[in-house]
Amino acid sequence: MALQLRSAWVRPAGGPRRRASLHASPGPSAPAVPAAAELWAAVHLTGPDPGEKLQRLALRAQAFTPRVSLEPPDGLLLEVQGSLQLFAGVTGLRAAVTQQCRRLGTAVVLAFAPTSLAALTLARAGRALAVTEPAQLIGRLAPLPLATLRWPDEILGRLARMGVRTIGAALRLPRAGFARRFGVAQLAVLDKLTGRAPDPRAAHRPRERFRHRCAFTCELESHAAILAALAPAFAALGSFLEARQCGIVELECLLAHRHAPPTSCVLRLAAPAADVERLAQLLAEPLSALTLPEPVRGCQLRSSVPVPYAPDRESLWQPGEHGGGLTSEACGLIERLRARLGPDAIHGLALLEGHRPEQAWGATDPPAAAGRGSAATGRTGSRAAAHRPLWLLPVPLSLSVRDGLPRRRGSGLRLSGEPERIESGWWDGGEIARDYYTATDLHGVRLWVFRERAAPHGWYLHGVFG
Amino acid sequence: MALHPTPCGGESRGAQLPAYAELHCLSNFTFLRGASHPHELIERADALGYTALAITDECSVAGAVRAHMAAKNRRLKLIVGAELRLECGLKCVALAIDRAGYGRLCRLITRARRAAGKGRYALTRADLDAVPPEGCFILWLPGERADAAEARWLAERFAGRLRIAVELLRAGDDGARLAALRSLGGELGVPLLASGDVHMHVRARQRLQDALTAIRLGVPVAAAGSRLYPNGERYLRERARLARLYPPELLAATVELAAECRFSLDELRYEYPRELVPPGETPAGYLRRLTYAGARRRWPDGVPVSERAAIEHELALIAELGYEPYFLTVHDIVAYARSRGILCQGRGSAANSRVCYCLGVTSVDPQRGAALLFERFISRERNEPPDIDIDFEHERREEVLQYVYGKYGRERAALAATVIMYRPRSALRDLGKAFGLTPAESARLAQVMQWWDGSTAIGERLRAAGFDTGSAWLERLLPLAAELVAFPGFPRHLSQHVGGFVIARGLLEELVPVENAAMADRTVVQWDKDDLNDLGLLKVDLLALGMLSALKRAFTLVNDYRGTHHALGELPAEDPHVYDMICRADTIGVFQIESRAQMAMLPRLKPRCYYDLVIEVAIVRPGPIQGDMVHPYLRRRCGAEPVDYPGEEVRAVLHRTLGVPIFQEQVMQIAIVAAGFTPGEADALRRAMGAWKRTGGLDPFRERLLTGMRDKGYPDEYADRIYRQMEGFGDYGFPESHSLSFALLVYDSAWLKCYEPAAFTCALLNSQPMGFYAPAQLVRDARAHGVEVRAVDACVSSWDSTLERRADGAPALRMGLRLVKSLSRAGADRLIAARSAQPFTSVADLAARSRLDRGDLEALAAAGAFASLSGNRHLAFWEVAGTERPLPLAPAPRQGAASTEGRPLLSAPSEGEEICADYASLGLTLGRHPLALLRPRLAAASLAPASELGRAGHGAAVRTAGIVLMRQRPAAASGVTFLTLEDESGQVNVIVWERIGERDRRALIESRLLEVHGELQCQDGVTHLIARRLIDRTPLLGELLTRSRDFH
Repeated sequence: MALQLRSAWVRPAGGPRRRASLHASPGPSAPAVPAAAELWAAVHLTGPDPGEKLQRLALRAQAFTPRVSLEPPDGLLLEVQGSLQLFAGVTGLRAAVTQQCRRLGTAVVLAFAPTSLAALTLARAGRALAVTEPAQLIGRLAPLPLATLRWPDEILGRLARMGVRTIGAALRLPRAGFARRFGVAQLAVLDKLTGRAPDPRAAHRPRERFRHRCAFTCELESHAAILAALAPAFAALGSFLEARQCGIVELECLLAHRHAPPTSCVLRLAAPAADVERLAQLLAEPLSALTLPEPVRGCQLRSSVPVPYAPDRESLWQPGEHGGGLTSEACGLIERLRARLGPDAIHGLALLEGHRPEQAWGATDPPAAAGRGSAATGRTGSRAAAHRPLWLLPVPLSLSVRDGLPRRRGSGLRLSGEPERIESGWWDGGEIARDYYTATDLHGVRLWVFRERAAPHGWYLHGVFG
Repeated sequence: MALHPTPCGGESRGAQLPAYAELHCLSNFTFLRGASHPHELIERADALGYTALAITDECSVAGAVRAHMAAKNRRLKLIVGAELRLECGLKCVALAIDRAGYGRLCRLITRARRAAGKGRYALTRADLDAVPPEGCFILWLPGERADAAEARWLAERFAGRLRIAVELLRAGDDGARLAALRSLGGELGVPLLASGDVHMHVRARQRLQDALTAIRLGVPVAAAGSRLYPNGERYLRERARLARLYPPELLAATVELAAECRFSLDELRYEYPRELVPPGETPAGYLRRLTYAGARRRWPDGVPVSERAAIEHELALIAELGYEPYFLTVHDIVAYARSRGILCQGRGSAANSRVCYCLGVTSVDPQRGAALLFERFISRERNEPPDIDIDFEHERREEVLQYVYGKYGRERAALAATVIMYRPRSALRDLGKAFGLTPAESARLAQVMQWWDGSTAIGERLRAAGFDTGSAWLERLLPLAAELVAFPGFPRHLSQHVGGFVIARGLLEELVPVENAAMADRTVVQWDKDDLNDLGLLKVDLLALGMLSALKRAFTLVNDYRGTHHALGELPAEDPHVYDMICRADTIGVFQIESRAQMAMLPRLKPRCYYDLVIEVAIVRPGPIQGDMVHPYLRRRCGAEPVDYPGEEVRAVLHRTLGVPIFQEQVMQIAIVAAGFTPGEADALRRAMGAWKRTGGLDPFRERLLTGMRDKGYPDEYADRIYRQMEGFGDYGFPESHSLSFALLVYDSAWLKCYEPAAFTCALLNSQPMGFYAPAQLVRDARAHGVEVRAVDACVSSWDSTLERRADGAPALRMGLRLVKSLSRAGADRLIAARSAQPFTSVADLAARSRLDRGDLEALAAAGAFASLSGNRHLAFWEVAGTERPLPLAPAPRQGAASTEGRPLLSAPSEGEEICADYASLGLTLGRHPLALLRPRLAAASLAPASELGRAGHGAAVRTAGIVLMRQRPAAASGVTFLTLEDESGQVNVIVWERIGERDRRALIESRLLEVHGELQCQDGVTHLIARRLIDRTPLLGELLTRSRDFH
């Protein structure tokens, strides 16, 4: 739609030509002919954390003009010459853009100028001006501090020491001398600023995700039928991913019903995948576990943001041979288990550095195919680690005591071996001070028990040896 | 072995407790590992009834002397040893059996330390073969899994002296470990003994030990994981516990081994170097010959009879005590400095003798000052080495140090160490990191503390800065910080002493280990000056003194300009004009008496002779101030109070100072004559005075002093003042012997300032950094005295500031290139060379011919040094930016591109910009004072300039503002801060009481331009402003760069 508008409203190229009168002195960037009459609107986001809002604003700015370009982290440029009449001139456009920004909840400075850089510079300097006449441009820019051009500090510092602190002062310097001292790149910036040199900009293309909605011709109840009906959606996903050479790590399937709210079914992958058939198979697992409140009338397939994906390399060695590891098979197993038991049911185990038994291990993400080497870096067990049971209770269990010795299920425990003393953890409030023993109960089960070093010297069961 | 716990086991079977000696114990001189002071370990071991304690710091004996002194106090046997960790992983402890074994151990430690950078060591099995620690017991410390090969390797070398250390630390497998080591010991025939891998004296230090470990590893405690110890068993364990853990024979073995270690640090004897005496002469004969040769120079018309008698008396005393080599050592160093034209002067107890005067060590003419009694400086009873410090020109001291290294070799000479202790800031910074704060957060935590804040203030300061001291992590951190900074301060690392040299006859490294310092070509011993003092080892302090450099330069400038032959100590003596100037407190730049406190004293004390200067130098010190001796002295001096003596005994001691004790020596003499101390006791008192902050040992003397003086009829109040004065001396003891030497420099520098202000200022500028004032004040003062000061000019200036002859013959001061910030010396030298070939025609010409890089050119442009070539600074920078770096070998471009560019349209800098740029580059301006520019705004805010304050009179309420030149927080002035403000009309001295300082703390600490409301106090021609309110006005300065100098 915007594209049509632009072609309908664009003004013929040309515009007023006032060659040498723009600026009297032969400054470094006394503009020649402006390439074509353009009018740029620059939005400078002044609020905190502008990066994320910039993306969203860029999306909305497509409504004003297709020529939107980003100046991260806080600038957005719109070429609006063609859109002026549609939005009732600069005033109307300013109101419309400002309203969009307000909806996003971000404070902005909005400036208009014949060159993109000039508009941006005005906005960044906090001057919400609308300079529509190229002849006025230099006069408006001249008092602005040079720092608004965001040149490297080193260059700004050197200029400041010559007393050059404003754009106007820089424009007064001789071109060749300026270029020799500060580089042609800086001179080019000044030229772009004043329109002496063209300043082509790449248009912004918003980030995309896969979305596919399809309405079924009849209401479906069987899982198999639903899966079959999803085939076109998967085919679309396949070509979407192929065209972008991307894979996805998350896929959501929303099933629409007549009355009930849509049922969601999420597939999370251990590694990016682009194989649609496999994705369909994997989705079948959680799908078949779903209890549907009503028949399904339609569905929507939504992907996470695609990530670059290189197709699976077949290893030269089979698993188990010459260091050929568990590649996709392990991943496949993890994904299958996850699909069946839920995304949070699978985790990895790692030994952690620390003396406290509770802190000596922790749950991790299951190793992805790429990270399989790194997860195995446990510590080489200390001599004490050999005495630790494999099964640790989540919370130590208090034991009853008679004659200073612990009891369990009504009978005394026999302590064997010698105590291992652990005193650690004072720095995070989880301080422990315990003497650990191995104990045997009536049935010959070996238990790991400890006695608190502090009064009242309670006894606790903390683990069971295999 | 206790297989079953004994929760209610008895600990008190005193008689049956086995004897035990701990043979593996680290103190906190194993930096960031050990968590207890040596004296804490000794005291705890004694309290537990240990038979002996070995201090075995890691490849170090740095804590040994402190442990030795503590052990002597407690009469506990100390064994000196070291823990050694080889690069292959082998760990052992070496314990010195006898003097020879100690020497071998020191050599081994030296070898390991010298092979690595500062603070580290590198030790291999080859080193143990090269310097086998004979005369030492070796305790093998098996790793987690005992490696029999290690034991075998050691057993091959140290059979008979090798033991296996069994350290049962409740790791859960103690029994198995003991069994394994027993079988290994049986197999190799190596006996076992018990030891404890002690890192702390009590278990409660475990937290600190964990935190230190984390600091050492550079990780937060929470991330240190298994690199921390699993429990707190590495402490000095009660013998009852040990009895339960160890078989009796292992405990008994420790005591047997301890009994065999006979070495004590008391055996170390200092021996003077031999080569000082030419072949065929005795030290006494040679010293006599040198002394009389010097006497003939000092008294060309013949040595007066009285002096000859005094010299004979001194020589006899020196001979009796055997100190000739010491005087010869000092003479040798001084003679070397003289031969190289390096100005130097001795001071200290022995320096003011006639012998030293004849040897040229000092210039204190015994006839000029008060007649000095040699026994005041060297006494028969005090068996301690005489003390002479020698000051050298600070820029040339290194030559002297290298001479000493060269003469005696690195094996025989090294610098004393300085133990760097944790201070509140460093403790908070390190602990912050250990608690997982980012470096920036830790820095913020540390910033809370000012350098003057004591350790007790930490919690309070943190609360004031908005930290929640109730938060859990701070509650855990604060006690640790308190432990780190608590008296006597936790050692952090060894650094080098400013100039204390230890010189030995034999190998120094058999006396004490030597290690590398941070500076290349420097080596330090592992003991600091107190340690050396405690053991009676000789040390010569070779110190750097900026004023000597300045005087040397000033003499050269004056002599060159006027053709005179002035030299140190040979200026016209007792010139009344010089004393007039001093009495006016017109003493900016003069040695010692330029500080604020001194300047406030001068108009009151009104020095009129050399000995007045001696008193002036010593009186503005914590000792006399805390002893309330200043005002009595001033009153007696102006006749407002009669000179009397509290007792006849003290008349002889005090008559030089009108009956008021001023000097440290006098206080000690009073202790002898009035309180009945023996000279030996008085000496103990003197050392306690120097160290009471360290050991807190002054209280026992108090009772002794008070009762002693009461018995002789002195009022308690007087005795109490004497005692307080002693405490004051503890901080900055300032003896007459030092003051006598310093007063000479005071007079000479004052003479130069009085008669040759241009040369004097020039010399001070060329000797920066030194003294109390920055170049800005020195130049301002010189101009106020009519000296013409000329700007830095690339076409004229030399590296140093110089004197230029004016048309009227008076000297003008040309500022040198050395004042230009970030100009390289090499670049300046090339510039001067190119300029002498042919004058410069432009900046481009200058850049091309002097081959200056961009940085140097910009430095010169920033200083305004191109004014004569290019005009203002903006144009100078434009031209500098246009110069191209010449390619090597290519011909210099001649007026190429630059000349075709045309002149740029650049605005000229404003006056404010010029002043700012002057300050930024040179630290001073020849233009107006920055406050002159701000004056209209200050006047509008009713802020009076400094010059008008004097007119307001005593008690007037005034408001003023000025640039903060200095902040001082003297230890003697509890909590009071002294500020010096400056504006275009002069300086204002502000006194900020503690309460106001606390309230307006930010303004006090951070302001560069400070507004002060307060009340004037005028007394004896000295004006102070007592602050009521402080307001930070720094923003008015804009980017004006001024830095205040903060003094401790």
